[in-house]
Amino acid sequence: MQLRDYILRRLMVLPVLIIGVSIVVFTLTRVGGSPIGIYLSHEMTPDEVAEIEARFNLDKPVWVQYLYWIRGIAMGDFGWSGVAAAPVADVFPLKLAATMELALASGLVALLLGIALGTYAGARRNRLPDHVTRIVAVSGASLPQFWFGILLLIIFWAQIGIAPIGRSDATIFASIAHPTGLYTVDAILAGSPAAFWDAIWHLVLPSVTLGYGATAIIARMMRSALVEELQQDYVDAARAKGLAERIVLKRHARRNALVPTVTVIGLTFGFLLQGTITVEIIFRWPGLGRWMADSVLRGDQATLMTYVLFTSVLFLVVNLIVDLVYANLDRRVTLGK
Amino acid sequence: MTTLGWRSGLQAWIAALTLALAAPLAATAEVNNPGLLVHAADDEPTTLDPAQVEPGEGGETVILQVYDRLLDVGPASPDLIPSLAAVVPSLENGGISGDGMTYTFKLREGVTFHDGTAFTADDVKFSWDRAMTMDLPEGNAGALSDVVASTEAVDDMTFRATLSEPSASFLNSTVVAMVASIVSQDAVEANGGVEAGVPNAFMAGNMVGTGPYKFVAWNRNENIQLEVNDDYWGENAKLDVRIEIGGDPDVRVLGLRAGEFDTIETDPSFIADLEGADGVTIFTGGLLLEPLHIGFNLNIPEGALPSEDTIPVDFFHDPRIRQAFNHAFDYEAFLNGPLAGYGAFNPHYTPIGIFGHDQNAPVYSSQNYAEAERLFREAGVWDEGFSVSVITEEGNLFALMCLVLKDSIERLNPKFRINVLAVAESVFDDAHAQNPLEYAMWAKNADPAADPNFYMQAYQHPDGEWGVVHGFANGYRDAEKVASLIDQAAVELDPARRATLYSELQAMLYDDPMWLIGAQEGIVMAHRDWLKGFATQPLWPRPSLKFALFDK
Repeated sequence: MQLRDYILRRLMVLPVLIIGVSIVVFTLTRVGGSPIGIYLSHEMTPDEVAEIEARFNLDKPVWVQYLYWIRGIAMGDFGWSGVAAAPVADVFPLKLAATMELALASGLVALLLGIALGTYAGARRNRLPDHVTRIVAVSGASLPQFWFGILLLIIFWAQIGIAPIGRSDATIFASIAHPTGLYTVDAILAGSPAAFWDAIWHLVLPSVTLGYGATAIIARMMRSALVEELQQDYVDAARAKGLAERIVLKRHARRNALVPTVTVIGLTFGFLLQGTITVEIIFRWPGLGRWMADSVLRGDQATLMTYVLFTSVLFLVVNLIVDLVYANLDRRVTLGK
Repeated sequence: MTTLGWRSGLQAWIAALTLALAAPLAATAEVNNPGLLVHAADDEPTTLDPAQVEPGEGGETVILQVYDRLLDVGPASPDLIPSLAAVVPSLENGGISGDGMTYTFKLREGVTFHDGTAFTADDVKFSWDRAMTMDLPEGNAGALSDVVASTEAVDDMTFRATLSEPSASFLNSTVVAMVASIVSQDAVEANGGVEAGVPNAFMAGNMVGTGPYKFVAWNRNENIQLEVNDDYWGENAKLDVRIEIGGDPDVRVLGLRAGEFDTIETDPSFIADLEGADGVTIFTGGLLLEPLHIGFNLNIPEGALPSEDTIPVDFFHDPRIRQAFNHAFDYEAFLNGPLAGYGAFNPHYTPIGIFGHDQNAPVYSSQNYAEAERLFREAGVWDEGFSVSVITEEGNLFALMCLVLKDSIERLNPKFRINVLAVAESVFDDAHAQNPLEYAMWAKNADPAADPNFYMQAYQHPDGEWGVVHGFANGYRDAEKVASLIDQAAVELDPARRATLYSELQAMLYDDPMWLIGAQEGIVMAHRDWLKGFATQPLWPRPSLKFALFDK
């Protein structure tokens, strides 16, 4: 099958899959009960409850409610978030951007520290630096995020007072436009060093908290891979040629050790996104994780359905892209079979 | 389901860590954030529109600061003071007609809205009519429409309201309510206008009032920013305001200790984390007007109760059983445990601090197992025992009150069983809004009000809001007399005679309780020492603060 035909076929199937996913998401959410609770006040009379049900079409049969939901989505209306007190469609991009920025910053922390620590330890196998790095790595993997986060807050925010909490200084944040929703990027686009510094400074504690766990995984992987590579014949050959140990390590062994490590790095991004829930609550980070946690606790089904639908569709699209990339990279993969 | 949720565990860990590590925090000599008040709130508003806001909800806090009403209450006493009205209407000054049906308000001159338009009587008429026309189910329009028959702008600076019947609580309950806030007619009409039954999206997220603060921004889940209104008709506020929204309560405590927050909203259970902290003042004084109560349902449909409940549907029809529950509850344990000692016990159903509260009225305030046993035996349930469920929200004082009830009743007789169903807030709200209610008991707090008529109508009258849902007529020893006394007191304009009627009611309702009132929660606030002018007033919406009074 030609690549073009394969893409067309997958694209034609995609809407069917999305509709299937939407039915599953809607049904599973409704198993938990009606979404009406989030819209109710404590002292409402039954007549007032009926009015609210009519406002959100919850007085219709469930299958009609589904059609209203799907029609709303087609028109860009994902419902009203009782938690955010605003349309889900208005708030979702802002929260997503905040969470993505935190996850990317944490990923960067994990990547840089993980590779550096792994290399340092791997090159000094079974010596003191290796043991110290192992302790650091194991700590990162085993410390609860909420504990580590609150520890950093107490020291750097409350006691020393050098690190802020939240996502931004409200005044500086309001001083620039936010076309992308990513504060760091928006600050660069606005040419505002103050906003850029504010964004970075607010990212430090939450991204270190979140990235520390992933740092441990990457560092351990990097160390193991490097130790294995350093035992290979080509490393002996490089040394025999008289290359400096630094060059053997950086240009040869580390480059090859990065191959399995990169696979792990990809997987850790999912771990980072999961971890944003705790970190966002602790650091008052106005992102998707904190919003979702509140939505789960308060039964904000419009928000939850949007989130699950979004991640499901994202998964479908990413899968499609991965299949295409695989096919392109490895000619042994046969499309459509 | 007795678990209080994962948050409790998390909070316990954080509290322990905070205490261990934050103890040496030193007082900051200089003032943090000069010119700015940072208030850490526990709730995100659901709306900023006075016509849509629910009493007791987070939006009322902001509405109080940005909008004015015709009358207000100062921090020092519950007496009414003029706000956008130039004087408080009375029989003496002719503001109230002799028959009590017409209230005429002379308005303050020279007031402008934050959008620069002039304030007139048309704005008052528009604001009140708007709320009554929209009549949103989540809002409090009933506070106006239940009493006001018509409104009139007599001239630019005179507004008149005609009532549907005389009301002793009109000024105290209606005129000062957040739903009666005065909004800019021009701003509303330029942004969606008024439509019956439909919220105004602009007004839900924006504010154009005459108050000491102007609305700047609402960043969802993050903060609300207000700035000083330099053209305010009264004394200008000194500090801009940033309200930090939500987050973990322990982080709020930590932020106060660190001086990052000037005031925080918390509950008494966190005060122990702040006692002795440098630079922090714990303010205690007064009581919230929201008694914590457990309702008895006398209108249970056949077959509706949870399967573990063994009681008959007319279980609470017997006043002896309701009295026995009231006698069995361990009030001291609830007050000294979850409320950390901050609270008091009020009679049914008049909170301490409002007109009509009789200091000599009988009050359930101490556990009396002997009397409880006698009443349960008389009612014929002692030997056989029973199992009954109480539904409540998880992870808060209400759930803890239910656990105290469980402990109290089950210790009295091992054959008695209380099942505490602590559920998510939305699940509770859904169950709580049903009529008939499918649970025998539920726990929550009362809505706050400034006048006893609200409590008596909502929580005691057989034809009132809860009287109908709970079927009070099925259980009162003399339902007609209760209704008659409440109705008489509602229209009695002579304060002495009115107080006597409420005293009689409080005595009657002690013997015939429709609720178990756990306690009236005390006001406990914490703020930085550098904050000057700190004051609270329980008649203001929770957390009972007016930021315009503060300086630092």
